Amino acid sequence: MTTQGMSGKRSFRSFLGGIAMFALPALAMSAAVPGEKAPDFSEVDAAGETRSLKDYAGQWLVLEWFNKDCPYVKKHYGSGNMQALQKKYAEQDINWLTVISSAKGKQGYLEPSQALEVAKSHNLSASAPFLLDADGSMGRAYGAKTTPHMFIINPQGEVVYAGAIDDNDSANPAVIPKSANYVAAALDASLAGEAIKTASSRAYGCSVKY
Amino acid sequence: MAVAQDTASGDHVKVRWLAPDTFGPGEETIGFYFEVDPGWHVYWRNAGDSGAAPRFDFAGASGELGDIQWPSPVRLPIEHLTNLGYEGDVAYLFSATPKASRMEIVVNLEWLVCKVDCIPGYGNMTLSRPVADAAQWQPVEKALRDRFAAQVPVPATRDNFPWIVSNVAAATDGDSLQLVLEAGAAEGAAAPAVFPLDGGLLTAKAPQVEESGDTLRYTFQRVPGAVLTPTTGFVVSDGEGAWQLDDIEIQAAATSAPTANPTPADSGQPLWLLVLAAIAGGAILNLMPCVFPVLSIKLFGLVGPEGEAAGRLKEGLRYAAGVLVTFAALGALLLVLRAGGAAIGWGFQLQSAPVVLGLILLFWVMALSFSGLYEFGHHLMNLAGNSRGGSFVTGVLAVFVAAPCTGPFMGAALGAATLLPAYGAMAIFLGLGIGLALPFVLLCAFPALLNRLPAPGPWMETLRQFLAFPLYATVIWLLWVLGRLLGDSGWLIGTLLMLVVVFAFWLGRHQFRGSRWIAWGLVAAALLMSFGAANSLQQSGRESGSVPVASEQSWQPYNRNAINQALARKQPVFIDYTAAWCITCQVNKKLVLDTEEVEALFRANDVYLVRADWTDQNPDITRALGELGRNSVPVYVWYAAGESEPILLPQILQVDMIEALFDDE
Repeated sequence: MTTQGMSGKRSFRSFLGGIAMFALPALAMSAAVPGEKAPDFSEVDAAGETRSLKDYAGQWLVLEWFNKDCPYVKKHYGSGNMQALQKKYAEQDINWLTVISSAKGKQGYLEPSQALEVAKSHNLSASAPFLLDADGSMGRAYGAKTTPHMFIINPQGEVVYAGAIDDNDSANPAVIPKSANYVAAALDASLAGEAIKTASSRAYGCSVKY
Repeated sequence: MAVAQDTASGDHVKVRWLAPDTFGPGEETIGFYFEVDPGWHVYWRNAGDSGAAPRFDFAGASGELGDIQWPSPVRLPIEHLTNLGYEGDVAYLFSATPKASRMEIVVNLEWLVCKVDCIPGYGNMTLSRPVADAAQWQPVEKALRDRFAAQVPVPATRDNFPWIVSNVAAATDGDSLQLVLEAGAAEGAAAPAVFPLDGGLLTAKAPQVEESGDTLRYTFQRVPGAVLTPTTGFVVSDGEGAWQLDDIEIQAAATSAPTANPTPADSGQPLWLLVLAAIAGGAILNLMPCVFPVLSIKLFGLVGPEGEAAGRLKEGLRYAAGVLVTFAALGALLLVLRAGGAAIGWGFQLQSAPVVLGLILLFWVMALSFSGLYEFGHHLMNLAGNSRGGSFVTGVLAVFVAAPCTGPFMGAALGAATLLPAYGAMAIFLGLGIGLALPFVLLCAFPALLNRLPAPGPWMETLRQFLAFPLYATVIWLLWVLGRLLGDSGWLIGTLLMLVVVFAFWLGRHQFRGSRWIAWGLVAAALLMSFGAANSLQQSGRESGSVPVASEQSWQPYNRNAINQALARKQPVFIDYTAAWCITCQVNKKLVLDTEEVEALFRANDVYLVRADWTDQNPDITRALGELGRNSVPVYVWYAAGESEPILLPQILQVDMIEALFDDE
């Protein structure tokens, strides 16, 4: 009797929730959620080529948010940690895209020519030169909050990891050897056919400058 | 002296010690004072959507140092993100207890200071101060220290926390988590700010706050894809004080089936042993006060003039059939409910106010007839004693009232029944039935026993009248149960119905015109109104969630979080799972738990006492019982100080058992 009443109330609430979802304007910030389909994107890279999610259908894809002036990006690039990861997994046929979502006039924004230079000076080993998401559409679709913010998409197009690069939010590069790298762990586990232990974490770093 | 190392600084940040000029011999709270440029901020322990908490890496100290104490933060909306931290200045505190003639501390610092852009800072600081008889502070420094110390959350306890944590729930498929606070001492106060401790689980975005009556509902957004942890923590700040809620259990918002999580005591027992325990438990039920009135009716029928030796075994078997069929039906009902995922337990029939009211009516009418008020009773008795259905019905009745009187053995058997596969559960139910029926059948099978009973005669009338009294007692007990279920109105509804029934009998006996019709009409109206009132009162009571719990002195109502907090602070905990309709519970309470001796013992050992009242169908308590492998009361749970594994005490308590709890230590 009571249980019925409760479940009735609950289903009514979820019904209201459903209506609210339809009624809400679509501008609410969505996010890439582990276990769900990765949001679509289509961005032009620094070399002028368009890169879309569907280009990577059937393949593994890592997305990384970047801002050259962010101390946390400096931590992982200055130490060579990020490039080493990019290289290691590119050799295993895993795609890696590095995205700049900084708006024009904000910290980290780069014109295409500058971006090519930064890619070179940073020894970037990604599958394409920086994706230039100056309007923030891709960053917002993924819910990218920080630089770096990492996402892993499996060949089925589902997000399998979202969050920080590792478990140590210090800005000091000296902590890197002692840190547990979530991205490497997730990729290694996936390639070995095992379950991903940590599929989500609090992304640390600087805010993405939309 | 290395004065230069007394401070550290970086872009937009200056750090210095907040410490006394001279330490005393004891513990002193000192800290790092961060002066941050206007518009810039540093972070709390959970930095929120981006950023990072400062790090204090103590390289050495000539004394003991405590953990960093984080003043409660504010929310800092930075563009599309929310950070948790401090604008302007802040002091991160910790305790220091000197163990030498000078207090020396060496620390490596790392911090992050942000406006929109972030700048990390690093520094080394040393402290070197003399230790004397008493601490000597610069008044300004001490005032600064005290200002931030007041913002450090204290562990929330029952006594200091002005709200009551009633629930933390997360929908398994949803992306939110709700914290529900009830205004306790904080009645009428504004909703406090609540900050999640776990940034990996919840985003820092300000929760949506709904206020209804005394209830505050905070809805937090979960980090997308974050796996639910079993527990989580919050800091609650009302602007003046701050409290920390640690290890609050997260409950699934959906009512799910009770988790199959039996205690070690119940797991691994072979089925036959459980069935045997059930039979023994059922037999002992015959001695319980709930069953006695019903058996007395039947016994009366057997010794009546119509009772023939040949028919007695048949009678006994019919009674047994009634018992078994009812147990099978109840077992099937429980299994169906279990399959349906309803968190429900044994004794549930007496948790429904209309059912209790119905039993009051039944026993009242029977009692009146036993007292000789009305012939109908005689017919009923003859019916029970003679007709083929009579013994069967008695059996049905016996089960119905016996159910809540959980005797020894029964608890474990019933608990197992909810966890076992269907056939095992049914075997246990039938075992209980066999146990309940056995003494009666034996009495019927061996007429020699019956022959020893005196021959029928006028004494029967006296016996019949005498047997009314247990029935009156049962009516009083049921009225009390109804009162617990519905509050004061329960008494009123029950007694008014009784009054109308007696009045209707009186009307019926006076054969003036239409009196019978008026009597029937009155009874019908009274039934309609009382049952309707009982039902709606119980429904509204449940919806508002106001379960009346008599707060008796030191006993606390059941609150899972309060219990976890008591366990966390290593306080021993005693939980009395009880219900108004459970006679064993009341006896234990009267003879053991509420005696001065035991109360003094509990007080002396600072035991956190919990009375989990299951009179109403409280789903939280049903769930807690399920986790203990039980679904009936009484259950007595003891957590020794610092132990997280419970010990279950026997269902029939004795004072020396309670004493033994404290001797062991």
